[in-house]
Amino acid sequence: MSEEVKEPRGLKLDGSSYKVLIVDDSIFVQKQLRQILTSEQFDIIDAASDGTEGVEKYKQHQNEIDVVTLDITMPNMDGITALEHIMKVNPKAKVIMISALGKEELVKQALVAGAKNYIVKPLDREKVLSRIHAVVSR
Amino acid sequence: MRVEYINPFVESAVSVLREVLGSDVSRGQISLGSKISVLHDVAVIVGLVGQVEGRVVLDLDKTTALKIVSVMNGEEMTEFDEMTNATLTELGNMISGRAVTRLAELGYKFDVTPPAIFVGSSTVSDTIESLIVPIVTEFGAFKINVALRER
Repeated sequence: MSEEVKEPRGLKLDGSSYKVLIVDDSIFVQKQLRQILTSEQFDIIDAASDGTEGVEKYKQHQNEIDVVTLDITMPNMDGITALEHIMKVNPKAKVIMISALGKEELVKQALVAGAKNYIVKPLDREKVLSRIHAVVSR
Repeated sequence: MRVEYINPFVESAVSVLREVLGSDVSRGQISLGSKISVLHDVAVIVGLVGQVEGRVVLDLDKTTALKIVSVMNGEEMTEFDEMTNATLTELGNMISGRAVTRLAELGYKFDVTPPAIFVGSSTVSDTIESLIVPIVTEFGAFKINVALRER
């Protein structure tokens, strides 16, 4: 009887890792995402703690980034505005919004503005991995 | 103060904590507090502004707070630092976010402030009596202390 060995979801077909930019003002959420994603061999290329820094870091690494996780509520520049900037830089950017419950209207706005999906906190490991994998492997 | 204001916060705290702690969480009996609340060592305070206004406090002792943030971080945390504060802030955000959704379904419109964390015993003074509900987890019990009124 053969047992199916699952490939880590952070790996591409060529064996290299999908590269993720994390944008979140909470160092706790950054740490959670880092732990969940690196456990499946995603590569965290960088992290930013507000929208302005997130857009700058996106521009800096845009040729390498496969997906961005973007918090909706952040100081300086919120996630929706940051998303609009990122989509201007690269209309094909793959961005997943991270939201607390109670922000449904903002999530809808983000999906209209080009976000590919969203994840509601508290972060569930399996949900994070399956949604991000579904977006990067499209 | 109407009991219907506190219930969404209590239900939300129970469901969020069940998810983040991965174990059973229950609520105790509601009681009436006074206009002045003396809080334990750690307070997570969220303000509400709009059709309903006032504040909601998660009132914890240090040991319970550290045990809860340790489980949420998957590692033992023994003192308060930037990461424990960020974890408690996120807990406050998740609980208030879920409660806001329930209150909005009841027709109330308002905004919530980002949670503020106070470490060290403190006192909150309100213009109305607060309502208090104990929340019991396997890592210790704490209180939800709510003082809200309709504008």
